[in-house]
Amino acid sequence: MTDAVTEAPKPITSRSDPRFEVTLYAHVGAPGSHTLAYYRAHGGYDAARKALGMTPAEVVDEVKASGLRGRGGAGFPTGVKWSFMPPVDGRQRFLVCNADESEPGSFKDRYLLEDDPHQLIEGMLIGGWAIQATLGVVYVRGEYHHAHERLRVALDEARAEGILGTGVLGSDFDFDLILHRGAGAYICGEETSLMNSFEGLRATPRLKPPFPAQAGVYGLPSTINNVESFCAAVHIVARGAAWHAAMGTDDSKGMKLYQVSGPVRRPGVYEMPMGARFRELIFDLAGGPSERAKAIIPGGSSTPMLPWSDATLDLPMDYGTMAKHNSMLGTGGVIVIPEQKCIVDAIYNLVRFYGHESCGKCTPCREGVATWLPKMYRKLLAGQGTRDDLAVMEDMVKNMRGTAFCPLADACAMPVQASFRHFRHEYEHLADTGTSRYPRRREWAE
Amino acid sequence: MRVKVNDRELELAPGTSVIDAVFAAGYDVPYFCSQAYMSPIGACRMCLARIGAPRKDRDGNWLVDDATGEPKVFFFPTMMATCTTVVMEGMVVDTLSKEVKDAQRGMVEFTLINHPLDCPVCDKGGACELQDRAYEYGTGRSRFVFDKRHQEKHHPLSELITLDRERCIHCKRCVRYFEEVPGDEVLDFIERGGHTYIGTLEEGLPSNFTGNITDICPVGALLDATSRFRGRNWEYDHTFTTSLDDASGSAIVIDARTGRIERIKSGINPEVNKSWIDDGIRFGHEYAGDPERLRRPLLRRGDAFEEASWDEAAAFISERLGGLSGKDVGIAIRADATLEEGVAARALAELIGTGQVDHAPRHGPSLVPVHGATLQDLATATAVIVLGDVTEELPALDLRIKDALKGVSPPPLFAHGVPIADLRLKERMPRARERLTVVAPYRVGLMQHAGRPVVVPVGGEAAWLQAMTDVANGTDPDEGALGMGRAEAQGLVRQWREASKAVMVVGGFVLASAKATDAAAALAKAVGASQLLVPPMANGRGLEITQVLPSHARYDYRGMLAGSAKALLLSGLDPARDPATAARLGACELLVVHDLFLTDTAKLAHVVLPGKSGYEKDGTTVSLEGRFLPVRAAPVDNGEAEDLTGVVKVLGEAFGKRLEGRSVRSARRVLRKELGFDPAELDRLGLLHDLPRRRSGVSVGPRQEATGAALRVPTMVRPEYLARNPRLRAALGDLALRLHPADAAGHDLHDGDEVRVPVDGAPWRLRIVLSEAVPRGVCLVPATPDAPVGRAHVALEQVVHERRALEVA
Ligand SMILES: Cc1cc2nc3c(=O)[nH]c(=O)nc-3n(C[C@H](O)[C@H](O)[C@H](O)COP(=O)(O)O)c2cc1C
Ligand code: SF4
Ligand code: SF4
Ligand code: FES
Repeated sequence: MTDAVTEAPKPITSRSDPRFEVTLYAHVGAPGSHTLAYYRAHGGYDAARKALGMTPAEVVDEVKASGLRGRGGAGFPTGVKWSFMPPVDGRQRFLVCNADESEPGSFKDRYLLEDDPHQLIEGMLIGGWAIQATLGVVYVRGEYHHAHERLRVALDEARAEGILGTGVLGSDFDFDLILHRGAGAYICGEETSLMNSFEGLRATPRLKPPFPAQAGVYGLPSTINNVESFCAAVHIVARGAAWHAAMGTDDSKGMKLYQVSGPVRRPGVYEMPMGARFRELIFDLAGGPSERAKAIIPGGSSTPMLPWSDATLDLPMDYGTMAKHNSMLGTGGVIVIPEQKCIVDAIYNLVRFYGHESCGKCTPCREGVATWLPKMYRKLLAGQGTRDDLAVMEDMVKNMRGTAFCPLADACAMPVQASFRHFRHEYEHLADTGTSRYPRRREWAE
Repeated sequence: MRVKVNDRELELAPGTSVIDAVFAAGYDVPYFCSQAYMSPIGACRMCLARIGAPRKDRDGNWLVDDATGEPKVFFFPTMMATCTTVVMEGMVVDTLSKEVKDAQRGMVEFTLINHPLDCPVCDKGGACELQDRAYEYGTGRSRFVFDKRHQEKHHPLSELITLDRERCIHCKRCVRYFEEVPGDEVLDFIERGGHTYIGTLEEGLPSNFTGNITDICPVGALLDATSRFRGRNWEYDHTFTTSLDDASGSAIVIDARTGRIERIKSGINPEVNKSWIDDGIRFGHEYAGDPERLRRPLLRRGDAFEEASWDEAAAFISERLGGLSGKDVGIAIRADATLEEGVAARALAELIGTGQVDHAPRHGPSLVPVHGATLQDLATATAVIVLGDVTEELPALDLRIKDALKGVSPPPLFAHGVPIADLRLKERMPRARERLTVVAPYRVGLMQHAGRPVVVPVGGEAAWLQAMTDVANGTDPDEGALGMGRAEAQGLVRQWREASKAVMVVGGFVLASAKATDAAAALAKAVGASQLLVPPMANGRGLEITQVLPSHARYDYRGMLAGSAKALLLSGLDPARDPATAARLGACELLVVHDLFLTDTAKLAHVVLPGKSGYEKDGTTVSLEGRFLPVRAAPVDNGEAEDLTGVVKVLGEAFGKRLEGRSVRSARRVLRKELGFDPAELDRLGLLHDLPRRRSGVSVGPRQEATGAALRVPTMVRPEYLARNPRLRAALGDLALRLHPADAAGHDLHDGDEVRVPVDGAPWRLRIVLSEAVPRGVCLVPATPDAPVGRAHVALEQVVHERRALEVA
């Protein structure tokens, strides 16, 4: 026995790896999966029990060690975020779940909420224990009526069974959840706007610092995470950090819910280990494109598109790789853009969305995103644009980048810039000829 | 913190914002949303700069740039808003590079795309931050070829403020102002994105401090309706002076054009009003330009008046006075006269040889507290006890109390003034309500912000103060008078005592009673609080300490009116509303009235002399905290009007005497000796200067305590001029008689009725306002200079309807 280096097992980066097992979405779609009875029958709330048997610090360390990064888009390490909470000082502390999923191309949280609400409740229980918060808030997107309803019933079930309330699961820890329904504003997904909205104020982002851990809901210490982040915590606690960290790449660990939409044969949500490749998602799971594609948006509409190519398809879907390719993993909501779709029109659709959702607080977004840019697109699409207009658009978008108060303006600017980077010729064609390179087809009509 | 801005290095206190660092370094950066005394929010994105800072490694050592050996500066990946970024050790700020200029140009362009650019017809033109910044930082060219946003251009937020929604650049200053400064949340954004606009939830702007938003709006979106379309900014003469509307000593700027006051804006005095004034001060100036103002002296000829020259008037007066014994002459001036006018009144009294000289209104007790507090003390107090309705009586106090509830100490001053972005201030800051106790005989506005509101019975202040003092001293209190349980009272007293700084504000209801005033002083002493006493008018404290007082208590103003004087010179006073007083005035051998208008009293006079308003005088006033402040005359066309020094000058000449006080300059020679400094040298910020309490030996209190179940209550506006301040009147309504709805029913009174009703025997015309804030059995009527704050008798059973509310509609 000399210094024989035991070869570390290869990380799991493909769904077809036999070691991979679907966990987050294991029960989505199963009949009755949303009920407490079903959840319990499949090991429900065992992880929470386990967590309550650990110290809060141990839970935080476990999540840190798992390498879990926030699934809401920004990818901030969840365990680290939890450790930012100030020491317990008698003030009320809040755990908030961001279930406002509104980014075009993202629809993973929805089915967790609808088909597995207890998984979220359990995740929040674990999070609540970890940060020692006795109250949680679930802020559900206004349009998610069915999810809201399922969650409402699940909360009632949980309360009736002593899973929420005083002394949860027979411990002496008190925890309850407040269910709050949004009123249909994308900006409420931004964590501080969400808190404002929850408090009954105008949904505009707050200045940071102070960060939510110092002054969140009602100015009290708060931690906010995405639905999927909480659900992942359930399995991390149940199976251990090492199990989670065995999946993924260097900077991106664990399993992730990827979504794929656009012209593919089987659009939907697919759970895969992080670092899986676009090719596996789009071809192996979604059945491949149903028509020629020219680009993919890798992680929800705000992430810059990548050209459709073998090189792109072979990229691992993880945080670092996407950043290296001037894009972002975001929520993992992959959108395939077909060849026959005019890119100007497609991007206008996004611009219109962001313009409509701008909160109006800051100048570049209110005047650029919400006012000027959509008008330029309309001018262009009406066949009245010129090459000078293209220059104005590019310059304006440059002025929007990195100058706004919150990332929403960037979320609009980045895809626009990417479209200019990769498909400038389509813009020029429109400016020069007054018609789209790919005229509108029926299925795309507004 | 060492910070380098472009090429200049400077040392700054931790917590300083980068925008203040830039200005402190002598550079400029454009900004719209930041505003002194308000939270920085980073909304306009105009103040962008490139910012870098060195970093430390894990062991706490600076990461070093290999090339230079210096700590390596890491620039933020994006432009940073300097207003919301705090300085760091070794920070480097770049405001001059092309990158920064391009970003700033971009922001100007964004800001202008929806702005109507109707500068030629905009009242803000020439004094507009957007104009200036667009000129300095913009391209001068627009690439926006589309229709601009169309919104309402003449939206009356209230009778006093007009909103042009197209001009708004969404800086949120106005919205933040209401939440952060007076704490009256009456304005907000409506809609979102490109459709966002400013609006109110309910009609109007229910707050006493609305006008300040017209000062801070960076563009012409919020405009003072009294001056709308009345002049261009470069045509106005700006007079920086002190308001004489109350004793706050608030700095104001009078904008006059072609001899007329068009608007009043807030001046800046960091230790007094910061940059805020109430609506009474701001909008209550229209009377000064009223066409009925007296422009020349009037002499009585039989039943009518004839215009006369000053010399004729003076000759008439001196001749009449010659036939009287000096002792029989009374001289009374209104308590908002300047110190210089006070000196003039004293000189005249001396010449005539009378001890009957006084200022009015004046409470019995002295206005100089034994342990005085300043407004800064109040703003930094950790316990505040308010006795009265300061929001109406002296609104500046209300705002300083709200500063105390925020618990943020006054900011340091830079060479460029108050910090542009004080990062300690936040939107929706928690307020330490428990610091504030408000005691009044009805529910006053400030009670909303008070941890402990106490409504006492009319005239019940003395008993309450006595009971609390007993609690403080550990003696048995009259528990019925406490208005709370004994344990709670003990807790409160402990809280005051343990506070690092406790301040008691004593309003007119208490000062009207010597007993209550003594009780307040005793409680203050028992709990270690310093006091601020609210004078009934602007210069009450100054006229007291400069001894514009009678030689004997029975020669005070009331005494003169009651018959001790056979001849009277009244300046600014109008006591003839009371029929008995009017009869006596009619029988006077000589009545000289010096005033702005032909008042009821002036109509009885033999000689009427045209006076100057507080905007037209030069002189000195002393605020409630004992601050000597300069009063400067705005260029107003007022005919031959004179202040009291002018009156004394011509009267002296008629007697062949050159009196001290014959001019502001000569009065100041006297004051210099008495005060130990020359008031001519006061700067705008004034001087806190202690002078002894009124001379001893002369008891000048009223002989008996007032009675009556009704109250004369203070109002932010000057009731005597309300009828001549049409905008203010339209916004706030006519003078009101407020009472509880249940009381009204018994007298067939309805909200909005206009009635005639005797108040202490004098007929008043008032509008009925029903309010549950008024206790059962109590009527509230406005106080005036001649009927100051305190108890009164209102004969509700003699109410006569002038107009019923339904007919008005
Ligand atoms: C404009 C905007 C919209 C956002 N919308 C969402 C959302 O719908 N759901 C979500 O989980 N996070 C959203 N985020 C990210 C949140 O601000 C926040 O980073 C996240 O909820 C943190 O959770 P995590 O750490 O678990 O990812 C949004 C951010 C921005 C700037
Ligand atoms: S970028 Fe500005 S206007 Fe846009 S949503 Fe964020 S804060 Fe609001
Ligand atoms: S009205 Fe004036 S102060 Fe208010 S947000 Fe608009 S520009 Fe700013
Ligand atoms: S963002 Fe408006 S002043 Fe800084």
